[in-house]
Amino acid sequence: MTRPSLSIARSSPRRAEAWWGPLYALPAVLTVVVFIGYPAVSIAYHAFTRWNGYSEPTWIGLTNFQYLLQDPQFFTALRNNFLFAVSVPIQLTVPLVLAFLINERIAGWRFYRWTYFIPAVYSTVVVGLLAKIILNVNGPLNEGLNSLGLQGFAQDWLLRPQTSIPAILLIVVWANFGYNVVMYLAGMSGIEPDLPDAAKIDGAGRWQVLRYVYVPGLRRVMEIVLITNTITAFAYMFTYIYTITNGGPGFDTYVTEFLIYNNAFTFQRMGYASAMGFGLTLIISGLGYFYIRALTGGKE
Amino acid sequence: MSRSDPVPGAMAAPDGRPSTPSAPQARPPYAGLGARARRFLSVPGNGALIFGMVLLGLSSVFPIYFMAVNAFKTPEEWAASKLALPSALSLDPFATAWGATNNGGYVLNSLIVTTATIVLSVALAATAGYSFSKLRWRGSTPVFFFVLAWMAIPPLLLMVPIYVEMVDLHLINTYWSVVLLYSALNLPFNAYLMTAFFRAVPDELLEAARVDGASVHSIFIKIMAPLSIPAIVTIIIFNVLYVWNEFVFALLLLQPDRVKTLTPGLLQLQGRFFFNYPALVAGLLLASLPMVGVYLIFQRYLVRAIAAGALK
Repeated sequence: MTRPSLSIARSSPRRAEAWWGPLYALPAVLTVVVFIGYPAVSIAYHAFTRWNGYSEPTWIGLTNFQYLLQDPQFFTALRNNFLFAVSVPIQLTVPLVLAFLINERIAGWRFYRWTYFIPAVYSTVVVGLLAKIILNVNGPLNEGLNSLGLQGFAQDWLLRPQTSIPAILLIVVWANFGYNVVMYLAGMSGIEPDLPDAAKIDGAGRWQVLRYVYVPGLRRVMEIVLITNTITAFAYMFTYIYTITNGGPGFDTYVTEFLIYNNAFTFQRMGYASAMGFGLTLIISGLGYFYIRALTGGKE
Repeated sequence: MSRSDPVPGAMAAPDGRPSTPSAPQARPPYAGLGARARRFLSVPGNGALIFGMVLLGLSSVFPIYFMAVNAFKTPEEWAASKLALPSALSLDPFATAWGATNNGGYVLNSLIVTTATIVLSVALAATAGYSFSKLRWRGSTPVFFFVLAWMAIPPLLLMVPIYVEMVDLHLINTYWSVVLLYSALNLPFNAYLMTAFFRAVPDELLEAARVDGASVHSIFIKIMAPLSIPAIVTIIIFNVLYVWNEFVFALLLLQPDRVKTLTPGLLQLQGRFFFNYPALVAGLLLASLPMVGVYLIFQRYLVRAIAAGALK
């Protein structure tokens, strides 16, 4: 088998490439088609069926979607996703300032650069379980507040969504900010050092350099940070919710992925869960399209 | 293209605003480092800034401290204080956690899944990247974007059809289910990274090899593969972190003990040791240390890797 192909390669490299090119790409294409493409098509079909995952699905048209629009749990979950999207403007700005100060070699910059990424290294499950331990009524947070004489603030943080949602939001921001700092640092390493230096010689202050030199030069990174963190708020909250509150109390801290999971694997409503997943996939993949454009630099 | 924009803007802005009351011109230009740091600290508010940044840094390592001091405590000592150092080093929590993770079986499964996924991911990304960047064939560009496009779909929303597909393919509760799935989910990004990296390899190098009679395959193995080590390392860093820490699909697709990985195992630990927090914390520490180690080894490389990879 190798002999003829080798001789083709020797005699005409062009023809060998026309033949081997697609074959080299084939394993990758097959892998994405089978394990992402097929599920994507499958969910598009099952979104319009009643289905428990075992028996044959029954086509019911738009019924799932009509039901979805009257499902209060769905709106609670979606509202929570929007609340978690408060992280987006925070992630867009705070890591930018932090990266800028590190890049400016502020006192202790090596320590910041070394530590800030560490939260992104912990598994989400570890972060979630630690958060649950720390926020527990008898946990270290309340213990610390009590020892500082701040008993008035000590409370069961996970008992009410008014405290649990901001707490989870803070944890998610903390878990991801280091990744964004590193993204910004990487973007800053691509900016000619002459530019900020020249601006400083011209008398620009620290924050003016950030505003007028770095921010315009980091447009692409800011787009990537904006989109990835929006997608996080809408499609990567599951593990935090599952480990910290398990959706409770009641349905108060549900997010959409959690609702999909419960409908599918607890209530066997696979068709309804598919409809929810399909609707969200359409919305999020719209954002994803802009992510790819930002990532590839808008070429092509 | 936008890289050149800052030049005029940066120059014009300070000059174009003579009315700015803060008058940045009044401040002397930046000089030596020591003087700079001193001047920086003399500005009101900068001390608070540094205090905040140090606090943020400490919060990042706090979980390691928290896990390390509590993983050696007895439950009684835990009840007394969660932040103090342990009075004696009790190894019971580790023994309990180790036993509850199927005598290290979950750790082994995590290692197997991670290693297999990395090998498969690198192989798929390298062959695809080579094809898209250096092999001339009709349809190369559209197929490249076809592979890339799947990056747009958040995988968790597809958990229902993915689960059902794995049942149908009889891959459920086998390592293959997650190995193939993780490789597929990260493939668009990996292939993009590899393609971008290979594109930077000069064509003359390949042309010279072709003239010498090198085949498509020997160019890949003897020239491209050795050159791509930095890109492969980048892929390994990103994917090791992802695979070792992934939770939802591991929970869904690897349910029996013989294939269960560490992340769902930790959750099970939490259920089992509701009142034995030191054992739970020991398990969390066990799961975290390998990745903290990976980070410490590759930390210096990280910014460069992201700059070269994600922002190429």
